[in-house]
Amino acid sequence: MTLRTPANRAELLQGTLDMLILRTLLFGAAHGHQIAKHIQRTTQDVLQVEHGSLYPALHRMERKGWISAKWEAAQEGNREFKFYRLTKAGRAQLATQESRWKQLARAIALVMNPASSEE
Amino acid sequence: MWRWINSRWPAIFRRRRMEDDLQRELQMHLELEAEEQCADGVAVEDAPHTARRALGNATLVSEDVRESWGLAWLEHFLRDLRYGARSLRKSPGFTVVAVLTLALGIGANTAIFSAIDALVLRPLPFSDPDQLVRVYSIKNGATNTFANPDGPSALDVRDFAQRSHSFQNMVAYDTWRKNVSFGDFGSEPEQMRVGLVPAAYFEVLQVKLVMGRLFTTEESQEGQNFVAAISAQLWRNRFGADPSILGRQLRINGEPYTIVAVMPDVAPEWVEAGRLDSMEIWTPFGFSEVWAESARGDRGYLALGRMKPGVTVAQAQADLTVVADALAAAHPVDQGVSVVLKKLDDTRAGSLRPMLFLLMGAVGLILLIACVNLANLLLVRNSARQRELALRAALGSARGGLIRQLLAETLLLSLLGSAAGLLLAKAALVSVTKMQVDAMPQLASVAIDWRVLAFTLAVSLATALLFGLAPALTGTRVNLVEALKQGGRSAMAGKTATRMRNILVAAQMAMSLMLLVGASLLVQSMLRLEHQNLGIRQDHLLKGHLYIPPIRYPNSGAITRFCDQFADRVRALPGVVSATVTTIYPPSNGWVQMLGIPGRAVTRIQDIPMAQFGVADAHFRETLGIPLMRGRDFSEADIATSAPVALISQEFQRQFFLVQDPVGQQIHIGPPAFLQVTPGTNVSDASDVTIVGVIGDFRNVGLALPPEPQIVVLYAQHPFVNYGFKEIVIRTAVAPPQLAPAIGRQLHELDSEIPFAEVQTIEDLVARETSSERFTTVLLSSFAFAGLALAVIGIYSVVSFLVAQRRQELAVRVALGASGPNVFWLVVKQGLGMAAIGAAVGLCGAWATQKLTSKLLFGISAVDPATFAAGTLLLLAVAAIASAIPGARVLQIDPASTLRQD
Repeated sequence: MTLRTPANRAELLQGTLDMLILRTLLFGAAHGHQIAKHIQRTTQDVLQVEHGSLYPALHRMERKGWISAKWEAAQEGNREFKFYRLTKAGRAQLATQESRWKQLARAIALVMNPASSEE
Repeated sequence: MWRWINSRWPAIFRRRRMEDDLQRELQMHLELEAEEQCADGVAVEDAPHTARRALGNATLVSEDVRESWGLAWLEHFLRDLRYGARSLRKSPGFTVVAVLTLALGIGANTAIFSAIDALVLRPLPFSDPDQLVRVYSIKNGATNTFANPDGPSALDVRDFAQRSHSFQNMVAYDTWRKNVSFGDFGSEPEQMRVGLVPAAYFEVLQVKLVMGRLFTTEESQEGQNFVAAISAQLWRNRFGADPSILGRQLRINGEPYTIVAVMPDVAPEWVEAGRLDSMEIWTPFGFSEVWAESARGDRGYLALGRMKPGVTVAQAQADLTVVADALAAAHPVDQGVSVVLKKLDDTRAGSLRPMLFLLMGAVGLILLIACVNLANLLLVRNSARQRELALRAALGSARGGLIRQLLAETLLLSLLGSAAGLLLAKAALVSVTKMQVDAMPQLASVAIDWRVLAFTLAVSLATALLFGLAPALTGTRVNLVEALKQGGRSAMAGKTATRMRNILVAAQMAMSLMLLVGASLLVQSMLRLEHQNLGIRQDHLLKGHLYIPPIRYPNSGAITRFCDQFADRVRALPGVVSATVTTIYPPSNGWVQMLGIPGRAVTRIQDIPMAQFGVADAHFRETLGIPLMRGRDFSEADIATSAPVALISQEFQRQFFLVQDPVGQQIHIGPPAFLQVTPGTNVSDASDVTIVGVIGDFRNVGLALPPEPQIVVLYAQHPFVNYGFKEIVIRTAVAPPQLAPAIGRQLHELDSEIPFAEVQTIEDLVARETSSERFTTVLLSSFAFAGLALAVIGIYSVVSFLVAQRRQELAVRVALGASGPNVFWLVVKQGLGMAAIGAAVGLCGAWATQKLTSKLLFGISAVDPATFAAGTLLLLAVAAIASAIPGARVLQIDPASTLRQD
C-alpha cells in the first residue's frame, strides 16, 4: 500500500483500504492513529497501513458521507483527537464492499486453487 | 446536486479552518506515533523523526488530503492564471494589441446586443406582455408597408371584441396632436400628442396607476370627457411631482380638463417606433359619432387586444378572420377588409428591427475577425515559445496541463478584453443615443444591465475558447527532441501551424470583404434615398403644424379666414419668398380619398379609384416648387363661392386619364353613392371638382416608394374636409430656421392659444425619415472599417512572421544572386495569395446573403457588380500594402550578417 502507485493498481488497493477503515469503525469511533494501529494489529502486522495514505482516505470518505468526524477529548489524558464515526451510508457502503470483496476472494480462490473448488 | 454543493461549500469558504484542522490532526498523529515509538524503546530524541518517517512526506500527505477536498482544480486553475498573468506581463506589446483587438470585437457586440436586448428581447413593461397584440385592418389584402399599416374602425373593433372568443379585452383608441397649456405651470401653449382612450385601454395594458382613478364609462360620452390622465414623467417635469395634482386643471385646445390620474411611463407608443412622440396625456375616447353604423368605414384607429391566457396569435388571428369575414358579408364598407394581428412586442423596434439583426451579424463577423487575429498572434507566440513549452513537457508537464495553461492565458486576455470592451460599449452607447435619440426615441431605453453583462461574459468565454483552442492544440504538439535540439535556431513551426495561419487569414479576408460590400451597398442606398429628387425644391423650405380648435373656429369659413390671415401675415415678413397653408408636405401625405371618375362606373368596393388627397391654398404649387405640366395653377380668383377646382399629378393622369385630356374633366371627391350610408358623412355630394391643371409628381408615400396619384383641392372650396389641422409651408430667402421666431410671433398675435408646432425644415424631415437607415449605415460602415483594419493587422502580422521565419532562407537566396524584386515578390505573393482566396470566399458569402440584404436596400441591387468589384480591389490593394511593408524588410537583409548569426 504505497502512496504513489500507478493509477490502475491504486484503485483496487484504495478500495480495499476504504473497506478496512469502515470495518474498523464498526467497533466504534476512532481517530486516525487508532485506525492504523488496529488494522496493523488485527492483520498481525501483515498489512502495514502507510499513514500517509490513511488521511487522504479518511477525508475522502468523510466528504462522501460514509463517515463523520468530530474533535473530542480522548478517554485518557486531556488531549483532543479527531474521531471518526461510521454513518448510515457508511454501513451500507461497508456491506456492498464486503460482498464484493467476498466475491472477488472466492473468484481468486477458484483460480489459485482449482482442486478445492471441484470438490 | 445539493449534496455536492453542501459537501463542498465549506471547503470553499472555510479553507483556512480546514487547513488548520488537517495540520492539527497530523500533528496529533505524529505525537501519538512518537510516544508509541518511545514505548517500543526508541530513544526519546529520535522518536519524532521515526514517527515522521512512518507518516511519509507530510507535505504530500497534506496535498493528497486537499485534493480529496475537491479543490484541486481551483488551485491548478489559479496557478495557471497566475502563470498566465506573469507571462502576459512579460510581453506587454502582445498583451496590449490582444486586449485592444478583443475590446473592439467584444465592445461592438456588447453595444449591439444591448440595443437588441432593449428593443427586442427585454420583456415589455406590462404584465403578461405575450398576450398583447395590435390589431390592424388591411384593405384588398394589400400588404401595406410595415411602418404604416391601416387601423380598423371603432365599430369593427367593438364587433371583433364581442364576437371573438380569444380575447379578454380589446380597445380602439386614437392619438391627436393638440394644443396644451398648463395654467400656472407654463402659460405658453404647446402641441403635444394626446391619447384619446377609453378606460379599457389601461385595463388591456393592466397598468398600475401611480395615483388617481380610471376614466368612467360616462366620461367616454361626448361632452362629459373633460378629464385627463397624465404620465408620471409629465407629472415630475411640469408639476414638480406635486402630490396634490389630482383635481387640478390643464387646458387642451382651450378647454379645461381636470386631472384625475397619474399613469406610469408605459404606453405602447412610448416603447414604439420613432415616428410617434411619446404620449404623456390621455383623455377619454369621447366620440359619439364613431359608434354610428355610418362610421364603420371610418378606419385608421389604433387598436390593442389582450388575448386570453394560452391563446396563440395564430389562433386569435383565425378567430378574428372569421369575424371579419362575417362583417364583410354584412356591411358593404367592410368588403375586402381583412384583419391582421401583430404581437405588440414585435412592433416596438419598428423599422430598426431588421437593421438590428443585420448589425448583430456584422459585429459577429468583427468578433470572428478579431478572434482570428488573436489566434494568429497566439500561434506565432506559441511557436516562439516552442522551447519553453518543450522544456516544460520534458520536465513532466502533461500535454493536457500545457493546454490548460495556455487556455488560462487566453481566458485572462479575453476577460481583460471584455472589461475594456464594456467601457468602449458604454462610451459608444452614450454618444450614439445622444446623437440619435431625437429621431429614434426607442434608443433611449438602451442600457447596459445584468443581461448585457451576462452576454458579454458568455461571449468572452466563447471567444477565449475560439481563439485559444487551436493555437493551444497546435502549439503543444511539441516534438521534444526536435525542439530542444534546434538550439538557438528559431524553431520552424510545424506545417499544421502554418497551414492553420493561412486558412485563418483567408477567412478573415473573406469576412471583412463581406462587411465591406455590405456597408458600401448600404451607403449607396442611403445616398440614393436622401438625394433623390423629391419632385419639389426641397431647399429653403420650412414647415410648421397648426391646430385650429373648433371651439373658437366652429366652421369652415372661420378656419379659412384664420388660415388666409396667417398666411398673408407670413408672406409679408422679410425673408419670406412665399407661403402656403396646406395639409401636404412631401415626402409624406397620409390622406387617401375615394374618388368618382367619369367613365368609370364601379360596383365593387375594390374597384373604387383612390388617390393621395390634400387641401391647400392658391400658393401651394409655387411655394413647394412643383412644375406645372399642363393647364393652369390655382389662382386668387378661385374662392369659396366660385366653381371648385383641382390640380392632379402626372401619375394621376397616367392612372385615370390615359386617353382623354384631364384638364376640364369633372371628378367626384368621396366614395360612390352606394357606400354613403348617410349622405354627407365623408365628403359632400356636391364636392365635384374640375381639373384645371396637371403638376409634376412628388414623393407622397415616403422616400422609398414611387409617387402615388395625387390630387390637390382648395380648402376654401371644400367645407367638409376643411379641418382644424393644417401645415404652413414657407419658402424662404434666408436660412429657414431664422424665420421661425418671427412666424411664431405672427401666430401669437393672431391667436395666443395656438402654438406654432413641429417647426422643421423639409430637409430635416427627410433626414428624420431616413434616421434609422442612417443609424445603421453609420454603424455598419464603422464596423466595416474596424473589420478591415483588423484584417490588415492580421495579414501584416502573418507576413511579418513569415519573413522573420524565412530570414535565413531568403538570405541564402540573396547571397546566391536572387534580385531584390524577386525576393520581395516571393513575400508579397504569400500575402496576396491568402487575400485572393479570402476575397473569392467573401464574394460568395456576400452573394449568398443577398436575400437578407436586398430587403434593406433602396435603388441598388444586393449583388451590384461595381460594388463587388470595388470592394475586392480595395481589399486586395490593402492586403498588398500590408504585405509589402514586411516585404520591404527583406530588401534590407544583409546576407553576410544574417547567415553569420547562427
